[in-house]
Amino acid sequence: MRDLIIIGSGPAGLTAAITAAEHGLDILVIDEYLKPGGRLLGQLYEEPGGNWWNGIEESRKLSERAGALGLDIRLGVSVHNIEQENGSWLVYTDRETFEAKSLLLATGAAEAPVAIPGWTLPGVMSVGAAQVMTNVHRVKPGQKGVIIGVNVLSSAIAMELHIAGIEVAAIALPKNNRVNGSAAIPTEVMNALLHVSHMAPSAFVKMGSKLMKNEFMKKMGITFYPKNGVRMWDIPVMLRKAVIRIEGTDQVEGVTLATVTADGKVISGTEEVIGCDFVCIAGGLYPLAELAALTGCPFYHIDELGGSVPLHSEDMRTPLDGLYVAGNITGIEGAKVAMSQGKTAALSIAKDLGKDIAEASLSEAIRQISSTRSDAHIQFHQDVEVGRRKLQEYWEQHATGKRNILV
Amino acid sequence: MTDRDMIVCRCEEVSYGELVDTAGQFACNSRELKLRTRAGMGYCGGRTCRSSVDAIALAAAERDNTQITLKYQPPVRPVHFGDLGAISND
Amino acid sequence: MTERILDHPVLGALEPDQTVTFTFNGMTYEGRDGEPIAAALLAAGVRTLRHHEESGTPRGIYCNIGHCFECRVEVDGQQGVRACLTPVREGMVINGGGPLPAPVRDWRKNHA
Repeated sequence: MRDLIIIGSGPAGLTAAITAAEHGLDILVIDEYLKPGGRLLGQLYEEPGGNWWNGIEESRKLSERAGALGLDIRLGVSVHNIEQENGSWLVYTDRETFEAKSLLLATGAAEAPVAIPGWTLPGVMSVGAAQVMTNVHRVKPGQKGVIIGVNVLSSAIAMELHIAGIEVAAIALPKNNRVNGSAAIPTEVMNALLHVSHMAPSAFVKMGSKLMKNEFMKKMGITFYPKNGVRMWDIPVMLRKAVIRIEGTDQVEGVTLATVTADGKVISGTEEVIGCDFVCIAGGLYPLAELAALTGCPFYHIDELGGSVPLHSEDMRTPLDGLYVAGNITGIEGAKVAMSQGKTAALSIAKDLGKDIAEASLSEAIRQISSTRSDAHIQFHQDVEVGRRKLQEYWEQHATGKRNILV
Repeated sequence: MTDRDMIVCRCEEVSYGELVDTAGQFACNSRELKLRTRAGMGYCGGRTCRSSVDAIALAAAERDNTQITLKYQPPVRPVHFGDLGAISND
Repeated sequence: MTERILDHPVLGALEPDQTVTFTFNGMTYEGRDGEPIAAALLAAGVRTLRHHEESGTPRGIYCNIGHCFECRVEVDGQQGVRACLTPVREGMVINGGGPLPAPVRDWRKNHA
């Protein structure tokens, strides 16, 4: 029987696989995508100092290290169920069923939508879909697009589309309704952006120099925010206009925008149509934890982590024997944090399987997760550290409860 | 297309109007809203619309942070009957 | 019309690849061997991959990474295949699905 199955070959899964292989574990990595790298694949942004973070290159480096270690990575394999039986883990896939002593879930994140009339039309896609089409498959999602939803992810991907020579006619808010919540409220979106600007990559600093670091803008806030938006890499970022409808019969032909009040109400008579052939929906990311949920692992909904996350410790153990988590399944953060979590998980797994792992190297790996987090150029949620502390408290409560039962 | 006609669950084509009305009429939590409307019960297993269904239901009921609002059940991907099979020994 | 990004200022030139021929709904298309079916079709200007089983509304890629199943098509007779993560190969026969018969619903419409 194998020592370890890792589900997900993104930054967390691959880093874990490499670390675990270096400690002599027998590993199988499974991923449903056709290339290794996960969400890392599409990433492309300029870091302060002028270096480019090229997700395709980073994925290639990880894959090459994995290849050199002779790792067994199966792509295009979908897992539909997992079970713990007689102390080992069974992983059911569309090919065959695999078995191992331990299981690491590194399934990453999924995109949440915003709901806009017309969003089922061909040509409407999640913003991540446009990113992958552009950077990974090198096919333009269209000639001219509109992005609905103003947040860290959509701004970063808008820039990537721009670099690839794809026209982004506007980044605008979604219309206010019960689904879209605060993402449709100009003042709330403005505040969220102001927070991320402090730790943002150069792309945001550039945007910030115009918009967010400007004291006048801050004071005047959203009230005097230009109705036609502030330009970021030539793309109008509209915080006072919302897409109220996507137009088209057989596919996307345009969007209807309207000016909204500071609290998101549509001002009638302000409607205008922008022609475009694709639309990106940017509702943010949430941890894709479905496989963990099948195991009965306790879950906690923590807004700062992006949704419901499986209970886990700083060393990436869950309360279930032999089950570990790493990467965005534990909360929405950047790829570098995912990598350091993957390394930590692998060390915990090796230790639990009886390998000689010094306590110091495990605690150093945990410390590296925190330092990577503090140094991160992209922070998806301003209070991610608060979220991490909340989860740690739940973990300690859980551990105390377990001890009390044992006593 | 009006807001009421807007699709929320793409797989089962459940509209915003139907979800809001049902949530209002029965003061549903997410799970009940899903069972009454079929939102989130289609091909994708609710991966796309779960946050939207949650948001509509949360207008009527408060979130319990210790529970996943819409339960996951195996299989989490559609499975062909022919693929349900043996354990590998490799 | 969409097109391929042949030169990218950061990612460089698109590496040459084998061309494959496949059919979609009876029409013949070319793609790069091993790229996802959805990418090959989009590069050929095809956005609509299927029509909803009940309403018949057109659908294309949505999430592009296998989560949403909106891009499911029939490939060489196999149904429910995700075009976004299935590599296109020489000679593939691909069909987008359409509305399915719903006799009970239709009966109720006429009799209820």
